[in-house]
Amino acid sequence: MKLPESRTAAGTIPTASMADIAFLLIIFFMLTITFEVDKTQVVLPKTSIRVEIPKKAAYVALDEAGRIKVSSGEELSASVAGHEDVFSFAVGVIATDPNKEFVLKADENVAYRDVDQIIDALKRAKVRIIYLLSNERTVDDIAG
Amino acid sequence: MKIDREPVDDEIPTSSMADIAFLLIIYFMVTTTFAATRGLDFALPEEDDSPPVIEKEDSVLIEIQASGELVVDQNPMPLSEVLTYLQPKLEVNPKKPVIIRPDPQSPYRHMVLVLDELRQAPEKGFKEEIRISIPTQREIESFWY
Repeated sequence: MKLPESRTAAGTIPTASMADIAFLLIIFFMLTITFEVDKTQVVLPKTSIRVEIPKKAAYVALDEAGRIKVSSGEELSASVAGHEDVFSFAVGVIATDPNKEFVLKADENVAYRDVDQIIDALKRAKVRIIYLLSNERTVDDIAG
Repeated sequence: MKIDREPVDDEIPTSSMADIAFLLIIYFMVTTTFAATRGLDFALPEEDDSPPVIEKEDSVLIEIQASGELVVDQNPMPLSEVLTYLQPKLEVNPKKPVIIRPDPQSPYRHMVLVLDELRQAPEKGFKEEIRISIPTQREIESFWY
């Protein structure tokens, strides 16, 4: 009796759609990537209360060494010498938009004296609201 | 005369397309950084050349020492007890301002921690938000005690 030939199972995985999946992932990353106006490396303080920062807000970055960088939110941040330059910068930004929000991105270990001078400069420039950039405070942080 | 010519392959080889695509994915995955986009909002009061003088009895003063320890109305106090201390005072006068005065040498994070704790007041039994004031050193020297 002649038995029908058994079909050999294919030993390959079809990879024709791999390129499609890869391009979909690329498109996802390209759409979700956001470009930071300030790339200063700081350790942010942690807070429980965190509100969304408006896009295009102006940035004032202060690293642990006391170096200050500012950005109006439209271009990459640039270094400034001191808090008086922050005042001049803020005056210029407020002149174009009196309701412009400012973000203070300061290292958590910086002396409060430096932060105080920047906040004072922003107050004198008639900035109405600032956002203190922070990371999320977790349960472990509260317990510790 | 018959000339045999090899047929020219008119297809573009796409076998390396997936490799290039995955290289691009790896590039984006490595270079993508997750930016912090949230923070604590802090409304700045308008500059006033002659602000109202606030008497000591009309406010609560939280001083942050250089070491990070808190002194509330001249009493050392841990951060976890501050809201408990404030609750009876603010029940009598919800508009009583709470003034935060960090030592200039204290790390910035301590001011943020205290501000964050006070901002959580409505979630912890307070009827309304606490009126918080953080005078700058210039204002302290010009107007405050």
